Amino acid sequence: MSQSKISRRRLLTSAAAAAGGVGFMGPWAHNRVYAQATAKPIKIGITSDASGQYANSGAEDRRGMMMAIAEANAKGGVLGRKIETFHLDTETTPATGSRVAERMITRENCGFLIGAIHSGVANAISQVAQKYGVIYLNTNSSAPSEAGQNCHRVKFVWDANGSNFSKAAVKAAVEKFGKKWVLLTNDYVWGHSTAAATKNLLRNYGGQMVEEILVPQGTRDFSSQLLKIQQINPGVVSAAIGGDDLKAMRQQIAQLKMGDKPAWINNQQDWADVYGLPLDNLFGVFGTTWYYNLDLPGVSDFVKRYQAMYPDTYMKVPGNVFYNGYWATRELFAAIERAGSTNNIKVIKQLENLKVSARDRMQHHDAWMDPNTHQMQQTIYLATANVGTKDPDDMFKILGNSAPKDVMDVDSAPACKLETYEATSTFDA
Amino acid sequence: MPVFAVNNVLHMTSLVPHIVNGLTLGLLFALIALGFTLIVGVMEVINLAHGSLFTLGAYLAMSTIGASWFAGTPFGIWWLEFPLNVRYFLGLALGPVLAGAVGMLLELCLRPTYGKAPLYGLLLTFGAAIVVEEAIRLVWGTGEQSMPVPQMISGAFLMGGLIFSTYKFYAAGFAIVAILMVWLFLERTPYGAIIKAGAHDSEMVRALGYDLGRLRLLVFGFGSALAGIAGMVMAPIWGLRPHLGIDVVIPAFLIIVIGGVGSFWGAVAAAILVGLATGITGAYAPAWSLMSMYILLIAIVGFRARGLLGRRSALEN
Repeated sequence: MSQSKISRRRLLTSAAAAAGGVGFMGPWAHNRVYAQATAKPIKIGITSDASGQYANSGAEDRRGMMMAIAEANAKGGVLGRKIETFHLDTETTPATGSRVAERMITRENCGFLIGAIHSGVANAISQVAQKYGVIYLNTNSSAPSEAGQNCHRVKFVWDANGSNFSKAAVKAAVEKFGKKWVLLTNDYVWGHSTAAATKNLLRNYGGQMVEEILVPQGTRDFSSQLLKIQQINPGVVSAAIGGDDLKAMRQQIAQLKMGDKPAWINNQQDWADVYGLPLDNLFGVFGTTWYYNLDLPGVSDFVKRYQAMYPDTYMKVPGNVFYNGYWATRELFAAIERAGSTNNIKVIKQLENLKVSARDRMQHHDAWMDPNTHQMQQTIYLATANVGTKDPDDMFKILGNSAPKDVMDVDSAPACKLETYEATSTFDA
Repeated sequence: MPVFAVNNVLHMTSLVPHIVNGLTLGLLFALIALGFTLIVGVMEVINLAHGSLFTLGAYLAMSTIGASWFAGTPFGIWWLEFPLNVRYFLGLALGPVLAGAVGMLLELCLRPTYGKAPLYGLLLTFGAAIVVEEAIRLVWGTGEQSMPVPQMISGAFLMGGLIFSTYKFYAAGFAIVAILMVWLFLERTPYGAIIKAGAHDSEMVRALGYDLGRLRLLVFGFGSALAGIAGMVMAPIWGLRPHLGIDVVIPAFLIIVIGGVGSFWGAVAAAILVGLATGITGAYAPAWSLMSMYILLIAIVGFRARGLLGRRSALEN
């Protein structure tokens, strides 16, 4: 009897403890839990470079995000919650990217992370973000590996990648400029994975890579490489060089008057890397995802909104990096609204099903998020210098565009193994 | 001729342009390191603001050439009517002078750190580097700028069937002239003698009645002006942006360590070695081109701790 009483008491105590435990332990079953119904602001960590090789592009990226955030806040926020931001410089350095991401998530309680130019930095941030289940938008880094071997369930890649751009350019260039190619490759993940994609395509289209010249990040003098190229005398030089390295290289090629021969293909040309350079520095053919002077509905209004928000910025018109930063942020907010929640898994599912009409995107073709790689599939434009223009901002002449389905990166996709939803920590931001 | 001999000749022929290129690159590195080595040698201050003064000199010269501060004013219109050659050479004079003035201001700020641990001077010049860089951003903006270059020194020329940059050879020639002039100033003028004496035994120089403070001020200003000259000469090759100075300090520092701290010709020899190493690896093992200067440092300092022409330490006697 007494045993029964004790047993009952013990049972009740245990039940109460278990109930309390569940109540207490509940949040810890997730990574972190915040009250979803609260009106506390949604805090976004902005992980863009403010120094190093991609400082200028990082600033352009950030301006895009901030315009989307300002527009969302002007409409009363997202799900009625204001958007707050916290920015730290990722210094164009992967180790800093990891440290910044860790701090933003664990100490600043950022519910989402946005921003990247350098693929090594993006990869580092996304590893930390995946550990905590925090959605991370890789706005502008374009290594094919970002949507391939380095893909993650929480990461969404908004820029086109090196493989997409190569597909748009390589076949036509082999036919027009010859089969003998030299690859000039920035010696880090973006350069390497872009060069790998170009080599594959060259093989497919009958081209021959006679030499690949690796260029360390931070190279300011390209004279040795340019002499080497002259000695090889290729038909085409395919360059995957970015940031300040690219600016220095373009100036030195223009000085040598080597812009016309051999033919130069720069895989992708970020607006921040050429804005303000003399037009003779802008030789060759290059890829981009957007241009401020596209003759499409909504473009001029978008440019006006940019100019109203940033009247004193030295870049008088927005470029592709701004565009990606803006659209990534805006689509995140739309996904939260559609999910009706800031629960990360619900928002991820919304982003995975994202489809945007060409009209809304201000591009020539409809765009969509590939649910298997988390890379935005979008229009690719090929451009060259707009020689003879009177408008100093109107630097690009668009040569043509490719539909997303024609330039899909099918080589990187098999390497992408997204973590399962169950393996991804869940929380409400 | 045996096949291997033909191959060797061919290899030598293809190597020659890279040796020429490495030499020009080395002379440019020497120009970059000139002001840095002067300040370290005479004042024993590692001026981490050297790169920012390099950049500042280039921006000031660019504004002088383009009259950007007076754009649209009657003075600006009058100024722009002068040929580019005239404006360029005035920029070459004025930009470095103004950078030198900023350097003198920095020396005044440095004075409380003299006689204290070297870390104070390092931190102060590091802070100054950030201040100068941010000031450049505020005044000229964050974007890329381009330095106008007169027609007579721009363009390219053919040599041995290869295209070389005319400007780069002009810059290398300018570096030779600058190196010789600084050397003549230090070796053949009474001012140079006082500066060297100040580096050797500052107390004795003070005892002889020379104003050591004024001497340091002038040396720092001169070293900063040399940084400004280097900035202006290098800007058309490397481009011009506010954080350009970051690319300068590390090579300059490596060069004075390889050459031997305080040794003028040691620094010049080290710069040429660094140029050759960078130029040749840039062609044949490009992934190692930036690393080559560090390998050179390890190789030389590993065998000869005081650098190529550094003074023998008392501990070595």
